[in-house]
Amino acid sequence: MTTATDTQLPQGIGRLSRGWIAFFLGAAVLFAFGIVGYIYEQGQGMVATGMRDLGAMQGATWGLYIAMVVYFIGVSFAGVTVAALIRLFDIEKLKGVARMAEVLTIVALVLGALAILVDLGQPLRGIVNLFRYGRPQSPFFGTFSLVVSGYLFASLVYLYVTSRPDAARLAQRPSRLQGLYRWIAAGWEDTPEQRAKDRRVTFWLAITILPLLVVAHSTLGFVFGLQVGRPGWFSTLQAPAFVTLAGVSGIGHIIVLAAIVATVLKAKDRIRLDAFIWLGRFLMVLLFVYLYFTIVELLTTMYQPTEHEKVLSDALLRGEYAWIFWGSLAGLAIPALMLAWMALTRHWRVSWLVVASILVNLAAIGKRYLIVVPSQTHGQLLPYGIGSYSPSWVEYAVVIGLFGLGALAIGAFMKLFPIIELEEGEA
Amino acid sequence: MARYKMVVDLDRCQGCRACMEACKVENNTPAGVFWMYVFRFEQGEFPDTSISFLPRPCQHCNNAPCVKVCPTGARYKREDGLVLTDFERCIGCRYCEVACPYGVNYFNWRKPDHAFDDYKMDFSDPDLVAFTGGVVPPYRNPDHDVKHGPEGRLTSGSGHFKGVMEKCTFCVHRVEKGLVPACVDTCPVGALRFGDAEDENSPISVFIREHESFQLLEELGTDPSVIYVGGAPPSTESREIERPMTRV
Amino acid sequence: MKRSTIVTWTMIAVGVVLMVVSYFFLATPWCNTAVECSNPRVPFAPAIFVLGVLIAFSSAVYYAVAKD
Repeated sequence: MTTATDTQLPQGIGRLSRGWIAFFLGAAVLFAFGIVGYIYEQGQGMVATGMRDLGAMQGATWGLYIAMVVYFIGVSFAGVTVAALIRLFDIEKLKGVARMAEVLTIVALVLGALAILVDLGQPLRGIVNLFRYGRPQSPFFGTFSLVVSGYLFASLVYLYVTSRPDAARLAQRPSRLQGLYRWIAAGWEDTPEQRAKDRRVTFWLAITILPLLVVAHSTLGFVFGLQVGRPGWFSTLQAPAFVTLAGVSGIGHIIVLAAIVATVLKAKDRIRLDAFIWLGRFLMVLLFVYLYFTIVELLTTMYQPTEHEKVLSDALLRGEYAWIFWGSLAGLAIPALMLAWMALTRHWRVSWLVVASILVNLAAIGKRYLIVVPSQTHGQLLPYGIGSYSPSWVEYAVVIGLFGLGALAIGAFMKLFPIIELEEGEA
Repeated sequence: MARYKMVVDLDRCQGCRACMEACKVENNTPAGVFWMYVFRFEQGEFPDTSISFLPRPCQHCNNAPCVKVCPTGARYKREDGLVLTDFERCIGCRYCEVACPYGVNYFNWRKPDHAFDDYKMDFSDPDLVAFTGGVVPPYRNPDHDVKHGPEGRLTSGSGHFKGVMEKCTFCVHRVEKGLVPACVDTCPVGALRFGDAEDENSPISVFIREHESFQLLEELGTDPSVIYVGGAPPSTESREIERPMTRV
Repeated sequence: MKRSTIVTWTMIAVGVVLMVVSYFFLATPWCNTAVECSNPRVPFAPAIFVLGVLIAFSSAVYYAVAKD
């Protein structure tokens, strides 16, 4: 791939090894699988999914797709939080993970938006009509206007502003990507005034994005928490619990991504153990807060439940959904204990952190599924009987395809731009 | 402006489900879809069991959760009390369906069956009227393909588009002609009544005044336009029996 | 004040005003008793809201890139 005129760009940008080609091919195959599933769904109508109507049809009308919408948008928590923490509290040791966190946020938001689109019966109308007729009264207004438009755009702006210095450095040397870097740098010069400007911009962006983050994740909680007719949904705790679990899955994701990047780019000196420890502590705090919310919620529904709440909590605790419920709870409690142990003994290991992060992410998917589905199949207020839902291959295919697309996007970014902020003299 | 309400007389209902059939024929709903649904319940333990019936159309709530959550205003409330769906605006997010505590919404999971499109005829044709006696055959009512109300939206009938939400319309296409919904017209024992409740002297207002009544899930504050008279709301003891095939 | 600062603040102000105005005055009224409650008062009002968000955040790009 490298020609004689090319100088070596840092972090393996612009060069494809065999391993990378295999990675891209693998991700592309997954993505193609998702495309096939979606084309099939569009051809058949949504009867190709496992979803059916509530009530007499005894199904669940929101299923795996909506659970994944909530999960993906939850993962987007990571980038802005890490970025904001760096700018607001001057946490230098997190610098190495800042850009990958931003990229993760953007990719997760795009995947979340796509997951909404694949769930719509009329996706093309959805794109137009939401902007044409959108009603602020609907909790969905927050989801598409703030989460997908505002939050995504703000994250892009943030990524761009923090990328310019690196682009300017890379643009100084000849490479096939020089034009791109010049365009991104947009005349950035390494002067004290420009640096002060950048600091000011990122500081104020961080401050404005932080409340946007709370609002965005809360509106997603409101989608469920405001519905009085659905046992298990109508709860004040819904919004704060959504924000917290978003943090858990987002920080978990970034730990995994940072570990992968550190290994692949052999950059353990850039993403030091310090950063992992910091993220691990943050994850631990969020995990304990979320476990506390879970216990409060359980107590409330078990102490003196109404008949309808009882049907639901029975299904969760010892019925059809018990394996997901207890599995997810274990996937949250075990990592919490692992992190607490590491924090107490002050003996941190990246491999343990990665295991804990993968567990919390699986648990987060499980918890999202449990928020969405059981309240529909077991939460009918009129005696329609117990419903059932299991995702069809189409739904699994589309979700796998979305993960494939995410991997492709992050991989492509790593091959075009340094995913770890450059240090002085690195370029 | 009228304010339409439906009264369901549970003392009269015999659970024959003729209203369900009438609704299907009138609105061309797909298989497994029952805009009007009649529960047949059984209570108690053998041999001390009792059986009861409960017709469940869309409740056309005055404080409708589905209208509130609709992100595009495709689900809307008219001043005459009807809660309708604009089939040309609905994006198919199904939020109305999860918000509705009554389970009255049905999504077009499949592509609508347009096998009968060729049968569309001008039923006002004198030659045809001589043959049909003015009766529009049930397979495809042309009224479903025109827009209704002063707002001029496509709101009546079923199976227009795939991926769009549909539900009981109180037969808006009939109500606008001064007729009552098909289920009301069909009920052989007069268990269903329909009329303008704003007019204090209309038969339905008098009937509601003179009888003890309840609404389904009153405690949720949705204030349904469907009033139940006689009988009792279903309890958690009620078990559904003799279900029709409802899953597509 | 420098010209770039003025433009930046103007962009933020315009964005916020667009957001507030479209959310409270141009979008669908807060009721659900009539047909009007399902239509925005001005067509594409939600798009105006989103435009406001975009303009407000674009000011950051402008400020960072602008030459004084």
